[in-house]
This record gives sequence, structure tokens and C-alpha cells, in this order.
Amino acid sequence: MIEYDAFEKRLVLKVVYYGPALSGKTTNLLRLHELLAREQRGDLMVLDTKDDRTIYFDLLPFFLQAPSGLKIKLKAYTVPGQVRHDATRKAVLQRADGVVFVADSQIAETANNVESFQNLERNLKFVGLSLSRLPLVVQYNKRDLPGIVSSEDIRRTWGTTGIAVTEASALEGRGVVETFERLLLVLFDRIDEKIMLEAEHGLGREAFVRQIVRPLEGQELREQKEIE
Amino acid sequence: MNQEIDYVVGAERRLAELLPRGEIQPLMEAAVRSGLSRVRLLGDDGEPLAEACSQSAVQAPGLKRPLLLEGEPVGALEAEGPSDLAPGILELLFAVVDRMLTNNLKRMLTTEIHTQVVRQSYEELLESHRRLATSEQRYRNLARNLDLKVKQRTEELKLAHVRMLQQEKMASVGQLAAGVAHELNTPLGFVSSNLSSLGRYLDKLQAALLACRELELGEAQRLAFEKQWKEQKLDFVLEDIPDLIAQSLEGVGRAQKIVSDLKGFSHVDSASLVCLDLEQELEAALRVLAGRMPAQTRIHREFEALPRFTCNPALMSQVFLGLLSNAVDFCDKPLELRLGGRCLDGEIHLSIADNGPGIPAETLPRIFDPFFTTRDVGEGTGMGLTVVYDILRTLGGGVEVKSEPGQGACFLLRLPAGENHA
Repeated sequence: MIEYDAFEKRLVLKVVYYGPALSGKTTNLLRLHELLAREQRGDLMVLDTKDDRTIYFDLLPFFLQAPSGLKIKLKAYTVPGQVRHDATRKAVLQRADGVVFVADSQIAETANNVESFQNLERNLKFVGLSLSRLPLVVQYNKRDLPGIVSSEDIRRTWGTTGIAVTEASALEGRGVVETFERLLLVLFDRIDEKIMLEAEHGLGREAFVRQIVRPLEGQELREQKEIE
Repeated sequence: MNQEIDYVVGAERRLAELLPRGEIQPLMEAAVRSGLSRVRLLGDDGEPLAEACSQSAVQAPGLKRPLLLEGEPVGALEAEGPSDLAPGILELLFAVVDRMLTNNLKRMLTTEIHTQVVRQSYEELLESHRRLATSEQRYRNLARNLDLKVKQRTEELKLAHVRMLQQEKMASVGQLAAGVAHELNTPLGFVSSNLSSLGRYLDKLQAALLACRELELGEAQRLAFEKQWKEQKLDFVLEDIPDLIAQSLEGVGRAQKIVSDLKGFSHVDSASLVCLDLEQELEAALRVLAGRMPAQTRIHREFEALPRFTCNPALMSQVFLGLLSNAVDFCDKPLELRLGGRCLDGEIHLSIADNGPGIPAETLPRIFDPFFTTRDVGEGTGMGLTVVYDILRTLGGGVEVKSEPGQGACFLLRLPAGENHA
């Protein structure tokens, strides 16, 4: 569903952070906002929340320009995880170009993860998309907590599917950028197939990712934590 | 692609959409009043979108602040003014415009998502309403049909119950008749036999008396004997005795005949299936009703030779009795019955016609309906002809009626002339 306007030389990409309630989708965007350099990105837009829970969505925009002059805007959205906001999830999922599924690593949350993943499949179908053709990264968040699914189990579960899986602790800022990078890599391949980013616009895979993911100089995770 | 997808949340916005003139113009004019000589809002192509300037324009070096929207340069604020004031005012104006951009974008996104969610929820509600309405309709139909079905079944049950009662009644009447007949048979037997003996004994008495009369007696004795003879009217007595005995015997004989008819009619003794002579059955029914027939009843019979018909004999008795009792009950002048029987097209046709008042045209179509009666409440069950109709249908035949008011009624019974029947 890549939104590409050859005449205006504009490309708009949409990435959606999906997952069960309280799995850390908004925290992922907050950390990206904090960890990435201000150039090439806009401010994190947090739409109205209720008791700190997302009811609409959050939006973190990125902007870059290919050597050809092609303007590329990439918008990372979160969806509300609570079951009752399914209509919002459907609306945000429309025309998505990639999905990060943020799972809660706690064993007690396994059923919620499964339910949310099935909800994702259902809603993608509703908006005319399919998981089989959509760039997807599964992030096991909250690795800092006790009582979590072991890395071995995660590998066993997802190893055969070919889907990229990352481990993260969004609260500590670990694995957040890595997850985003993994998705961008898969996303680049998909766009490149369609509009020849490298061949026609002179934008290579590495350059694409590096322009968007540009860490702050000398930024320490510890400091980030103290700011919390 | 469905309609919702045309309405994307987070669609790209242009600067002019996010900073409407009405909102930006007062700010720029305020900036001019604060000291700027000229201020312009430029789009990404460098074309001015809004502008404000003072009357006494002072030529001064221009200042420029680029505007970013979601990280993308989308235009700039350009200001001219005194070098001591201009940078500060522009900085302030930039901060306000940048905040305005963000807030307007946020408001638009919120409106978009809200509209989208409301629209989608509304459509889902409509869909769920439609499904509920369909399901409600289905249950409504079911409930209505159920009501109808229950009514139908109740009606059928009621009918079956009444039919059963009617047949039960006929069976009880038959059994009662048979029981009475059996009980009467014995006394009637010895009355008949005793009467015969009594006749013979009386003959002996008469012979003895006559012999006494012929004896040689003294005058006084003879006169006394004759006196007794006359006083006791023995001439008359001796003459009347044979008649009395004969009449009594005849009476007993008739009583025995009635008893035997009753027994035969009720068929209490019969097995369930009997090979019947229909004409004889009709005659038996007539005999049972003989007591109720008005005087001067005339009966015409026109029977061809009929094949025998196999059925439960009690059923045919009920049919004949039902139809004949109606003729008797409704007759308004000396009764004239015309009974007929013949074979036609593989069917036995029996007809029973009377010269009664006939059946009015408006009641004719309903006479076989259950509970339909023209008699007063309590007198008729309205089941008599229904039972006739049911029985003939059960036997594989049928019944039709022809009647003109004042011309009597003619019932035509049809029975299959073939093999065995129920």
C-alpha cells in the first residue's frame, strides 16, 4: 500500500506498532524519540490519552530526501491495545506498509499476545492487507521483568516462520532502535522492489536506514533512565 | 477496495491547510504592531501565503526562520524590521506558529480518527442491527407459526377426542344392548316354554271339565254345576284360552326376535372383520329403529344383487343407524323411505332417501363438519354425520348428499367392491 506520487516526487510510508494492551507500544515510540537525533524526525505527537492509556494513537514522523530529490516521509503509529478500541485499530492499520508486533514477554500475558496477534490478522484482512506480504517484526518486550518466556522458547516458536523476532526492554531503551532498524530493512526491500529506490533514486539500503536511525551523539542509556 | 480505505487517517497536510489565513494574519499584524516593518509566511515553493507590513516601511535586512512539519521543511517565516527588535519578535512569532502547526495537526488527526471510528462503529452498529432484526423476524415468525400449530393440533386433538367418545358411546350402547339382550333371553325362553306347557295343561283341564259336565248327576247337583259354569263364564274362558296362549307366545316370539336383532346389530359377539351382506345389515338397522318409526311408514326397496363387503360390522351398523335415525327424527309427514343398492364402476352404491324437510342450501356444505348441528344445544352432538363420513373414508369409500328443501334428502354411500377392507 505504498503511497507514492511520482509527479510530486513524494513517498509516504506508514509503520504501525501493534500489540496487546500495556505491552509497551507507546514506550517504544517515546524511546525512539529520545534516542534518535532531532534531524530527520518531527516531534512525537501523542493524541489525547485517558489515564495515560492510548485511546487514539501516537505518531512519530521521520523525513528524508533521496539523492534524486524524492521526499520520503515515514510515520510510525501506535494503536490502542485495549480490546474496546478495535475500530481505532482498524482505522490506523489502513494502508500500513509495515508492522511491529510488540508482545509482552511475561508468561501470564501469553494468551493476550495470541489474541492480539489474531486480532491483527483479522483487522489486516478487514483493511485489505495480509500478513504474508507485509513487512513484520515481532518484538518481545519487557525482557527486564521476571516470569518471562525464555529466549529459547521464543526462538523455538518463531524460528520456523521466517519472521524477524527481537527482544527488548523499551522502559530501559534496550532493543527499541534495533527493532525499528530490522523493520526498516525489510521495508526497504519491499519499497525497492516497487519503485527502485536504489537504482532510480540513488538511495541504498544502508543509507535509507542510517538517515532515519541516527543515534544521538554520546547518548547513554543510563541517563535516559534517570530522566524517567 | 472498500470505502473506508479512501479515508486515511494521517493524510499529508499542506502548510496552507494547517495555518489558515484567518489564524495567522492577526498574529502577523500583531508582530508588525510590535515593531516589525514587514512579515511574510512563505510556502515550500517560496510563494507568500500571508503578509503584513507597516505604513512606514523601514528598509532593513531580512530575517528568515524555516518551518518544519513532521521533520519536513514546508516553508518559512520572513521578517524585516529594526535590528534591535526584529530577531526577538520573529523568534516569538516562530514559537507561536510552530506550536500552532503542531496543535492544528494534532486537532486534525484527532478529528480524522474520531470521524473514522464513529463512521466505522456506526456501520458496524447498522450491520449488527440488521442481523438482530433478521433474527428477531425469524423468532417472530417461529412464535407466530408455533401459535398456529398449537391451535391446529389442539383442534385435531379435540376432534379425535370427540370422535373417540362418539365411538366409545356407540360401543357402550352396543354392549349394553347386548347385555340386556342376553339377560332377557333366558326369562323369555322359559316364559315361552312355560306358556306352551300351560297351553297343553289347559287343554287337559278343559277336557276334564267337559267330561265332568257330561256325568249323570242328580238334578240338584247338575243345577249347581251349571250355575257355577255360568257364573265363571267358562264357555268364554275355554274359548279365549287358546287365543291368549297363542298371542302370548307370539308376543314372546317378537320379544325374542328383538333381542336377537339387538345382539346381531351390536355385533358384540363378532370378530373384528366380517363378510357382510349390506342389505341384511340395513334391514337389521331398520328393525332396531322399528319402535321409533311413525305409523304408516312406507319403505321402498330397490336392491340389485350386491357383493359381500368385508369390514368391522359395527362400523356399518353405525352408518345405517345414523342415517336412518336422522330420517326418522326429522320426518314431518308420514315417513317414506327409499332404499337402494347397486354395483357401479367397481363400487357398491347404497342410497337412503327420505321425504323429510330436506337440507337448506346454506347448511348443505357443512353437514359433515364436526360439531355442526341444527338441533338445539344439548340435543345433538353435531358428530352423527361426521362419524358417517369418517367411517366411509376409513373403508375407502365416501358419502355424498343431494337435497332440495321440501324434497327430502338422499344420501349416497360409495364403497369399494373389491377385496377385503378395514
